[in-house]
Amino acid sequence: MFWILLKKELLIEFRSKEITISMLTFGMAIILTFSFAFNVSPQIFSNFAPGLFWIMILFVSVLGLHRSFSYEKEFDAFSLLISSPVDRGLIFFAKWISATLFISLMEILVVLPFFLFLGLQTPSSISGLFGTAVLCNAALMVVGSLVSGLAMRARLSEVLLPVLLFPLVSPVIIAAVKISSAQMAGDLFADWQIWLYIILSFIVIFGLVGFALFDHITEE
Amino acid sequence: MEKFIEKKSNLIWAVLILLLMGINLANILWNTPMVKDQHWAQKIFYYHVPAAWVGFLSYFIVLVSGVQFLMKKDIFWDRMGLAAAEIGTLFMSIVLLTGPIWAKPIWGTAWIWEPRLTTTLVLYLIYIGYFMLRSFGGNPERVRRYAAALGIIAFVDVPIIFLSVKFWTPEIQSHPQVEMSSQPGGILFPFFFSMATFTLLYVLMLKYRIHILHLKEKRGTNV
Repeated sequence: MFWILLKKELLIEFRSKEITISMLTFGMAIILTFSFAFNVSPQIFSNFAPGLFWIMILFVSVLGLHRSFSYEKEFDAFSLLISSPVDRGLIFFAKWISATLFISLMEILVVLPFFLFLGLQTPSSISGLFGTAVLCNAALMVVGSLVSGLAMRARLSEVLLPVLLFPLVSPVIIAAVKISSAQMAGDLFADWQIWLYIILSFIVIFGLVGFALFDHITEE
Repeated sequence: MEKFIEKKSNLIWAVLILLLMGINLANILWNTPMVKDQHWAQKIFYYHVPAAWVGFLSYFIVLVSGVQFLMKKDIFWDRMGLAAAEIGTLFMSIVLLTGPIWAKPIWGTAWIWEPRLTTTLVLYLIYIGYFMLRSFGGNPERVRRYAAALGIIAFVDVPIIFLSVKFWTPEIQSHPQVEMSSQPGGILFPFFFSMATFTLLYVLMLKYRIHILHLKEKRGTNV
């Protein structure tokens, strides 16, 4: 059943491309704003690059998460979905995994303009950097999907989502920036493995919490 | 409807707390030793730490109430969760005010990214969002469930926030209660007395707030 739900999420996005295109455009706009706001040499910029990258991802993820849940409100699709004989925890997993895939795809598309426009040197191990970034995305989206599910049917959902999400994911942002900085500087794995463990524990803990709570959150 | 304070046990409880708070203050001002290099600034520690303890205890009660409400659907647990969230945030405000007041003369700056203080700030922000959800969330039936879930998510996040901030700023570890053993004698008793007084005050406040919320629901007032 999980695969059917995931397929549904991917199919909707494959047909409309709404989430990926809006995230990508917004990401590009943020990069442009960074270039105008911080008019400094690339050497200085490279110190802040991981932080700026994850700020961009955080902002962009709000857009994607909001869209991924708000289209469920059209024609009251979500009521139909939760009235079907499906474990709601699986709906949460499908939302989480699809959101992780969309943000990861967006990262692939945005990473080149990010390095190009900000005049940064492309890191040597881009695959390693991407691998850890996917894990950080998963950690970001696990809480993101949970909070979106919670805020979706509340009033002012577009306001509540970032207000609740940003402080909740502060450990993920700290860890993601530390991991990216260490990888870009070519540090040894032993020096930054602790951050990877924090990300992994975040994924496991909130994956389980989300699975358990989503049933109650979506109750009619 | 009988007023909260008209109930004999509540009146005795309130008078006792008032008395204990007075004794606590006098004890802190005149009966605690001066700590070298900190002088009067250290006295805030007797309010700062108990306020933090009560704040975290309160947020733990929000977690327990959240679990109970989602399992049993009993409105009492929702009332308890809201009351604990409100009072917890009040005490967390005291923590965030007294922390910088102490830090300015001791550390030379009002704010340092010390793990405990930072965790408190992050949790405080989450709870501002919690109250926004409670106030602007719309359908009260749903909002109760969302608030219960958020209370659980927020508390589960605490150890991860604390650990990540601790590793983020490994050089900042100095905090009064870590060095309790190196403090002069005579601190421990007033400290635990203050902790107990704050806890008793908290229990009374929680009871009173639950009573108020119950009355408001009866009258159909939006809380």
